[in-house]
Amino acid sequence: MNASSGEPSRPATRAAGGSVDAPPSSARADLPAIEVRRLGVRYNLRLTRRRTVRETFWNAFRRSNGPTHFWALRDVSFDVPHGETLAVIGPNGAGKSTLLQVLAGILRPNEGEVEVRGSVSSLLTLGAGFDQDLSGYDNILLAGAFLGIEHADMERRLPGIIEFADLGQFIDAPLRTYSAGMRARLGFAIATAVEPDVLIIDEVLATGDAAFREKSKARIVELMHAARAIVIVTHDMSWVREFCTRAMLLEAGRVVALGDPDEVATLHEARSAERQAQREAELRRQLGAVI
Amino acid sequence: MDAIIGRLATSLFGRPIAPCYSSGRMASTSHVRILRASDHPNPVRLVAEGLTDIWSRRRLARYLVEADLAKHGANTVLGNVWWFLDPLLQMIVYVVLVSIIFARPTPDYPLFIFAAILPWKWFSSTVTDAVTAVTTRERIIKQVAFPKLVLPVAATASGVVSFCFGLVPLLGLMIAFYPDRLSPFLVLIPVVAAVQFLLTLSVAIVLSAVNVFFRDIGNVARHALRLAFYLSPALYSIDHLASKPTLQQLMWLNPFTTLFESYRNLIYDGTWPHWDALVVLSVVAGACLLAAIALFKWLEPSFAKVL
Repeated sequence: MNASSGEPSRPATRAAGGSVDAPPSSARADLPAIEVRRLGVRYNLRLTRRRTVRETFWNAFRRSNGPTHFWALRDVSFDVPHGETLAVIGPNGAGKSTLLQVLAGILRPNEGEVEVRGSVSSLLTLGAGFDQDLSGYDNILLAGAFLGIEHADMERRLPGIIEFADLGQFIDAPLRTYSAGMRARLGFAIATAVEPDVLIIDEVLATGDAAFREKSKARIVELMHAARAIVIVTHDMSWVREFCTRAMLLEAGRVVALGDPDEVATLHEARSAERQAQREAELRRQLGAVI
Repeated sequence: MDAIIGRLATSLFGRPIAPCYSSGRMASTSHVRILRASDHPNPVRLVAEGLTDIWSRRRLARYLVEADLAKHGANTVLGNVWWFLDPLLQMIVYVVLVSIIFARPTPDYPLFIFAAILPWKWFSSTVTDAVTAVTTRERIIKQVAFPKLVLPVAATASGVVSFCFGLVPLLGLMIAFYPDRLSPFLVLIPVVAAVQFLLTLSVAIVLSAVNVFFRDIGNVARHALRLAFYLSPALYSIDHLASKPTLQQLMWLNPFTTLFESYRNLIYDGTWPHWDALVVLSVVAGACLLAAIALFKWLEPSFAKVL
């Protein structure tokens, strides 16, 4: 498999311009779309924390000042075969978004290995690359260029994106005149129009009005049927149960459970309820102490 | 061209450069991306990756430049006129300052300083824009994997456009007031500008990357630029320092001495530029550019974590 992947994808890229809609080549269909092996991602707290110059100087003198590293993810392993939809769930700060950033190629692992077969599109937050002063039309082209889509390919997809976003005359107006819903629609239309092999979605399903929500739901189901792999981060357990083929529960950067979406969602709900109860008991105790 | 780069890479490293991390291509259905903890970076490989990044995303750079230019003067009454007005007004300020207050007797002084102000404006505004070129794109950097090197490159490229617009009032000024100074040497301006471009691009790339980690760069750069301007022979000629030979020698270490004197040779004196100094400078600037690209590519993986 590596023999074929070692060859540059450049000649293939040209040829693929016209045949992107074709299903993934049969040679790869049996290999999982995503393989993650003992993934670890570490944040360097010295660099990440916004500090004043004075703090920087202090820290230079007192070197051992608190932890220097923080593992956002550690020892995470899983596969996503083609045609599967994996839900990643967990409490805030569990490392869900970090995981998606690694899959999208934005963050580099500090440990382990991640293999992604096929093109990736990430809808981490819709409309991230938008330029307020450009028109919707120009923003589509700009977003395509950021995503690295070949220009000819992008031109072919333009009518479809414009139709799906359903912005009417606003497509030629600068983006700052758009409502939040319109912006989300445009972002969703771009990210799903490229028909990626692997789609990465972070909490974007609740955007737009009810009609668009239905439309976007239908679009994602459509992508799932087209044998694409999807990784989705969501807090909506009904989505997990209804649309996902597997679910993974992350807590504090580690995999707690991986398997049947219904079971994992139930486990997550139970653990959340337990944490909530603990927090309330703690709060009550503190309140009691004050009174 | 892609094929040439691919072949070049194969001959350099014995294997093609796979778009291993940041240049994932959407349109290809058959492409595998392996991400793993990075081993020790090889500077040559970093530079090669950087050059591939720029070339493969030249269209993104073009869109960014177009967006940048569209914004220039968008909300002003005079709009695009500012392209020409800006350098003219700056020249007038210095003419008033130097010829009236300091009363320095240089013939055709407006043209004398215009030849230096134009390239300086290009350099300083590009550096100022480039410092924030990466940090202002914070949101998309955290959400889409793309070669960040495109950002300072685009910032530098839009500076080139504004420099070209500035040449129009320069020509107008010469035709209207100094027709006797028009000479065929003017066509060599792009040669000197190319050397300056190499230098500007290296500075832009380095500062845009370092600013991610130290946001103080913008403040420092403002003052450093001002100091550099007065230390460079822009308002005066290096010949004015003939009484201080040591200082004069030291001045030639400043790249802008070579650039300003060369521009002035072409525009003001109508002679050949300082070829020897220009060649040395272009070699140094080229080396700096490669080092800058390597530094940028080395820091790039941390951007998404630090921003």
